[in-house]
Amino acid sequence: MQDRPPSSSSSPIQRLIEAFNRLPGIGPKSAQRLAYYILRAPADEARDLSAALVEVKERVVLCSRCQDITDQDPCRICTDASRDPAVLCVIEEPLDLRAIERTNSFHGRFHVLHGVISPSDGIGPDDLKIAELLVRLNGPDQEVREVIVATNPNLEGEATAMYLARLLGPLGIKVSRLARGLPSGADLEYADDVTLGRALEFRQSVE
Amino acid sequence: MPARIPRVTHTEAIVLSHRRLGDADRIVTFLTPHRGKVDAVAKGVLRPRSKLAGHLEPLTRVDVLLAHGRSLDIVTQAQMLDGWPGLHIDLDRLSSAMYLLEVTDRLTLDRGHGDDNLDAAPMYGLLNASLIRLARGDGTHLATRTFEMALLEISGFRPEWRHCVACDTPIDTARANWSSLAGGVVCPECQHIHPEAVAIAATVLKVLRVIQNGPYEEAARVRLNPELAAGLEAVMHALMRATTERALVSAQFISEARRAGVAAR
Ligand SMILES: [Zn+2]
Repeated sequence: MQDRPPSSSSSPIQRLIEAFNRLPGIGPKSAQRLAYYILRAPADEARDLSAALVEVKERVVLCSRCQDITDQDPCRICTDASRDPAVLCVIEEPLDLRAIERTNSFHGRFHVLHGVISPSDGIGPDDLKIAELLVRLNGPDQEVREVIVATNPNLEGEATAMYLARLLGPLGIKVSRLARGLPSGADLEYADDVTLGRALEFRQSVE
Repeated sequence: MPARIPRVTHTEAIVLSHRRLGDADRIVTFLTPHRGKVDAVAKGVLRPRSKLAGHLEPLTRVDVLLAHGRSLDIVTQAQMLDGWPGLHIDLDRLSSAMYLLEVTDRLTLDRGHGDDNLDAAPMYGLLNASLIRLARGDGTHLATRTFEMALLEISGFRPEWRHCVACDTPIDTARANWSSLAGGVVCPECQHIHPEAVAIAATVLKVLRVIQNGPYEEAARVRLNPELAAGLEAVMHALMRATTERALVSAQFISEARRAGVAAR
């Protein structure tokens, strides 16, 4: 039943269940629960939710410098003068930025790749925000001396880090990776603040 | 389901790839010696405290216990046997190893539970041996070319480097054409049957023959200068692309990684 594609003939509640079901991590049972919650909730709450959904698609853009999602360009971190301009932390996804910010152990700026080199998923260097990174390092962010590649500790993250190390070497920039200690195969998103903070502090340079 | 099917498989396997499933699960694709390619669900593997995490990464050799589920198997135990650390010290080795995984994945069919007698041992042995060669620092070109040639042979796509693919006439290396679609060399008389065939350098064709003849130690004696290595790579990548019928992102990544390195010097 839950595999049926949405159609105009299905009821509004059925369409809502199907819409929830398409979200990551939401199974048919959860989708049903959410839909019935909305059905019983006050009309204002439903209107707020739908307005927030539309607004996020219309107002949120990528920061032209760090490629993080933002509602102002350049974003707050890129324009924050108290940030260390010499250190840049390269991450896979915007969620990883939030994880690193929570540790309070990093005071430089960020660059979001929006993915990782993964040939088995058809993703090569050109599909990531690597060209944008080079533009930054050659222009507005020339004072960067160290790039910390905080990709996930797995094959794809490692290939991406080694590729960036090769690419950035000639620019005279030191490239380092998060220290071991994060279990390999795990996701930064799930790492606890202490472990992630320590991995940042004891980062290692990449050849 | 037939009764002879066991409820679990205990096997050694090489992890070819994985993809995310929901919040913390993954579908892992294994190459096994006796069941060929197997997809299995690893539950909770993305959580740092998962006992499976770190034992199911692509490019590792593992010992796994797979419980047969209704559609997909479930990984119930996993123990890493080999991670080939030598692959991780150099980007050329690592990108070549990723390419080996991708072409193996593309040239292997998914097998169900009913096909337990499938003999994937030659392919498994080839991948394992080739990763060992890459990891210990044999030339990436040599290790990769011998792997491709043997993989094509095992999967029934043996390329023809000695006789015309159309009429079986012996081919003179001095003036030969070849076609990736035809899977080998083409004589001048048959060029009209394979108009896409293009010239292939004599040295490249000779080395392809040596590699195909084997053994590996014989091919290892050939001196591969950069020009010859590039010629061999171009031919074999074109052949793999034609055989798998798709662009191989990992093949492209090998060149991109090399280019980044050249710019560095
Ligand atoms: Zn920004």
